[in-house]
Amino acid sequence: MPNIESQIFSSYQRNPLLHDEIFDQEGQVKAIYQKLFNLYGEHSIEDYIQLNNKAKSSFFNQGITFQVYGKKETQEKIFPFDLFPRIIDSQEWETIESGVIQRSRALNLFLSDLYHEKKIIKQGVVPLELISSSANYLHQMLGIDPPGGIYNHISGTDIIKHNDGNWYVLEDNIRCPSGVSYVICNRTALKRALFGVFNHYQTHTVTDYAENLLDLLETVKPHGVDQPNCIVITPGMYNSAFYEHSYLAKTMGVELVEGRDLFVENDFVYMKTIKGPQRVDIIYRRIDDLFLDPLEFREDSTLGVPGLFAAYKKGNVTLANAPGTGVADDKAVYTYMPEIIKYYLGEDPILSNVYTYHCSRPQELKYVLENVDKLVIKPVDEAGGYGISIGNKLTKKEINERKKQVKEDPRKYVAQPIMSLSVHPTYIDENHSFEQRHVDLRTFTILGKDKEFVLKGGLTRVALQKGNLIVNSSQGGGSKDTWVLKNQ
Amino acid sequence: MLSRVADNLFWMGRYIERSEHMARYLNVNYFSSLDAPNQISQSRQFVLKSIMFMAGEPESDAEQKLKEEEVLFRIGFDTKYPSSILNNVKNARENANSARDLISTELYEAINKFYHFVSSYSAEAFVKNGLHDFTTHVTEMTAILRGKIRGTLLHNEVYAIIMLGVNIERATQIIRIINAKYHDALKAQGSYGDKFSNSYEWSTLLKCAESYDMMRRFYKKTPTSISTLEFLILNPNCPRSVMNCLNQVYNNIKVLDPDYRYNRTSTAFLVGRVRAEFQYKYIEEIENDIQAFISDILDNLGEISKKMQREFFNY
Amino acid sequence: MALDYSINYKAENDYQNSVDEAHWQFLIVPEQNSTQQLLSVDFRNSLGLEKSYSINGFGFRTIRLHATKKFGKISFEASFKLIKKDINPFDFDAFPAVEEEYQYIKTLDFQVDFEPFLKTTRFTRLPEAHLPGFQLDQSISLFENLQQLNEWTFKFLNFETGVTDVNTELDEVIRNRKGVCQDFTHLFCALARQNGVPVRYVSGYLHQGNGYFGDSQMHAWAEAFMPSAGWIGFDPTNNLLVNSNYIKVSHGKDYRDCSPLKGVVYSEGANETKYSVEVSAQQQ
Repeated sequence: MPNIESQIFSSYQRNPLLHDEIFDQEGQVKAIYQKLFNLYGEHSIEDYIQLNNKAKSSFFNQGITFQVYGKKETQEKIFPFDLFPRIIDSQEWETIESGVIQRSRALNLFLSDLYHEKKIIKQGVVPLELISSSANYLHQMLGIDPPGGIYNHISGTDIIKHNDGNWYVLEDNIRCPSGVSYVICNRTALKRALFGVFNHYQTHTVTDYAENLLDLLETVKPHGVDQPNCIVITPGMYNSAFYEHSYLAKTMGVELVEGRDLFVENDFVYMKTIKGPQRVDIIYRRIDDLFLDPLEFREDSTLGVPGLFAAYKKGNVTLANAPGTGVADDKAVYTYMPEIIKYYLGEDPILSNVYTYHCSRPQELKYVLENVDKLVIKPVDEAGGYGISIGNKLTKKEINERKKQVKEDPRKYVAQPIMSLSVHPTYIDENHSFEQRHVDLRTFTILGKDKEFVLKGGLTRVALQKGNLIVNSSQGGGSKDTWVLKNQ
Repeated sequence: MLSRVADNLFWMGRYIERSEHMARYLNVNYFSSLDAPNQISQSRQFVLKSIMFMAGEPESDAEQKLKEEEVLFRIGFDTKYPSSILNNVKNARENANSARDLISTELYEAINKFYHFVSSYSAEAFVKNGLHDFTTHVTEMTAILRGKIRGTLLHNEVYAIIMLGVNIERATQIIRIINAKYHDALKAQGSYGDKFSNSYEWSTLLKCAESYDMMRRFYKKTPTSISTLEFLILNPNCPRSVMNCLNQVYNNIKVLDPDYRYNRTSTAFLVGRVRAEFQYKYIEEIENDIQAFISDILDNLGEISKKMQREFFNY
Repeated sequence: MALDYSINYKAENDYQNSVDEAHWQFLIVPEQNSTQQLLSVDFRNSLGLEKSYSINGFGFRTIRLHATKKFGKISFEASFKLIKKDINPFDFDAFPAVEEEYQYIKTLDFQVDFEPFLKTTRFTRLPEAHLPGFQLDQSISLFENLQQLNEWTFKFLNFETGVTDVNTELDEVIRNRKGVCQDFTHLFCALARQNGVPVRYVSGYLHQGNGYFGDSQMHAWAEAFMPSAGWIGFDPTNNLLVNSNYIKVSHGKDYRDCSPLKGVVYSEGANETKYSVEVSAQQQ
């Protein structure tokens, strides 16, 4: 039995106020991590540095990079990857899985209602403002019945483990959630670097995502189509998520197209191939609603396909996700999720929401303004971690500025108590040591007609700066391989 | 396959091939001139002018003195010069990027590594003392890419389109090299009684096409103008010859268009026609008026490329 | 008494530099509804491009063209024949008590059902600074109120072409007090919506026989929904109620949803569009 005070953890500092996923309050390694801990303990920190560099160059050579746009030249960066995996046991995972399915299904019913009878509003469960003041509510979608009745085919639910040991949902992403390719790359990279560790755990695979995605998308093919032709549409190779788009197309075995490869004739969509036009039935689109069709939405869009929306409206093509899903991933909607789940499914939410204050409500606005230093304040309609303030990190001057912003446009903001995201030992390159870093988990759920799939795993995102709570890759976050254990 | 992606693959093939020929031309000319048997061929200005001529930017003023570092930088790393090796490799990778879902991970990784090698190479070191190292690496890496193309892709339309790009580009570059060295051979006449027909430049030409050894084995004689041209243009077994390229273009175009009916408007028809003309040519016909031959064959290759564009890549 | 209409639409687009590819979408075909019966549609263009029929996001019929060969100039010509029935805008049963209607439009169900046409959009946003005063007078019927708003708008703005364009927003219109039918209609919509009355922007043709403002172009007016009467058309540009001189093409939240011609053109440089409309009627 190797020494617990193994070399690689010798400088590990444990903050007792934080929920550490591998060490308990007494500093003992939790049972589920024990084997892994021992295995890693056999390595010296020098081994680790080498492995880490190898993993980095493997990402770089494979071109798994994103672009950072600088003043002079665009730089290619890899998405930082950590070699110490995160483990979730099968019981815990069962709760997460049923919880995210429940949310995705409720959101789908909610969207269908918002674009048809709007009963939930008429019955006063959620306010009319949720749609009337949302920029993402598309009137063009009113009355449309998407194939199979599915709107949010792909959902990315971000969850965290609080210091009370429970999982909470931070937000639902149902426009074009990204990150799934990194889940698979992380697994591949870890296997390449430390294949030995896999022998000791029964871990669920993550490489079955693409085949399941294609399977489930084929259940929502347009009416009257026998063998559907599915494609992925991308804004192009300069998009920061292009690697993911090409990865998905490649592993689904379908074409990766840009808007200019498609055209619409008599309300059917075709792609231009070397053998002439070929009909397209299902489009997994990675471009935003307003860029889909310049004849219907933004006229200056060069990414979209003129006439695409009419083809969709006529039921000749499936779009995944459906246009107009953005109305339901507004952070203001998030706060009603417990009611939404109850209303459509008659169930209590399996995963808790973080309590949220609506600045649009005078009473709550008052509380928020008085407690800016104790709250996380977020704009309701920004993605990617932009515009977020974390109370205990603000200076006096910043607090006053924040108050002013919120007062100017209260509808634009919601606030939540500062959640203490759990921490996980993470290798920090600059210091050549393992340190505690905050993590969250993005899960991926696919809805099809009478079928659903949750990727067993997900993207554990790490805030690489010490004490930072924002994990988004655009804000300098990294990620970890995430193991969901099989029931043993 | 999407027309746009086919177009990208075609150009990926062309750019890979082009960077190889540029690099080898630099390497071979520069280093073989160092110990060339006659004074003109040894002259620095002669070599630099030959390099610019091959690159399509001939120096018309005979008195003009070219600066070595400037010429090398321009051909190797100048981002403003469209055919610099750096730009060729960049373009090859851009084209590979947009077809990434169709090519193998292995091929993509190799192209990506190639790109990172070239883009992180110090231009300063290259012009000072890295010429040999850099150009050797580039030519070796293109050989790896060819291996990955042949060995990791399904031999279907994707492969056929890349090979069309490779072979059309190869034929084009071989002809450009012939043109440049022909020009050099004319200029190098006279010193030490060197004759045009057995100029030292013919050996350099063969080395630029990596065909010197094969040629020696085949003819067992010192290369002359006739034997060199015959080998590089008409010998179907020489993998760098124009004839060989045309044969491959023909085989690959038949993958895209397997139709054997008479259709005079198709690209396959044009390729077949050009190929047939070369198949039964005498080298003397070519040598009599080499300028006419060069402009003819370049026109034909351009026409094939344009026709392909219209028939397959129109999007 | 019904009228036989014949409508001619002509447009000409001239591009500074030649165009490689272009898509156009026309929203100019008269709607088929209870007062309009479309008899024929004829559409031609100078490049001989094949047309196709489709719909826009709100279900109105569109005509689409796609050019794939280089050109510099194109002209379009459409003609429609239809029968328009007489409309009597006063032909409805008023609510017994006027308050009832005001109560009704305040109900949540009503506001939810008519949400799209109660929504403030870019072109129907009133500037806070100089908000023109119009308040519903709850002692008279909603219909009478809207007639007053129609007149109020008509008097508040002066009809003048060339001052505004398709991108002009209301604050500018209100500052200058000048505009064309779009601006009149946007102002009417904004004020009605501000008072909780659902109203939609309508694009169509006006028969000019009687010297109304319309400037031989397509016309715009508004349709307001009243629980007692349903959708009724108001033309604030001419201070009229919509009758059989008005031929509807489409409706939406504002001009954006109804623009008669949308184009996606792959070319650099400016272009010039000219168009004209001719409407003639004959009594049956």
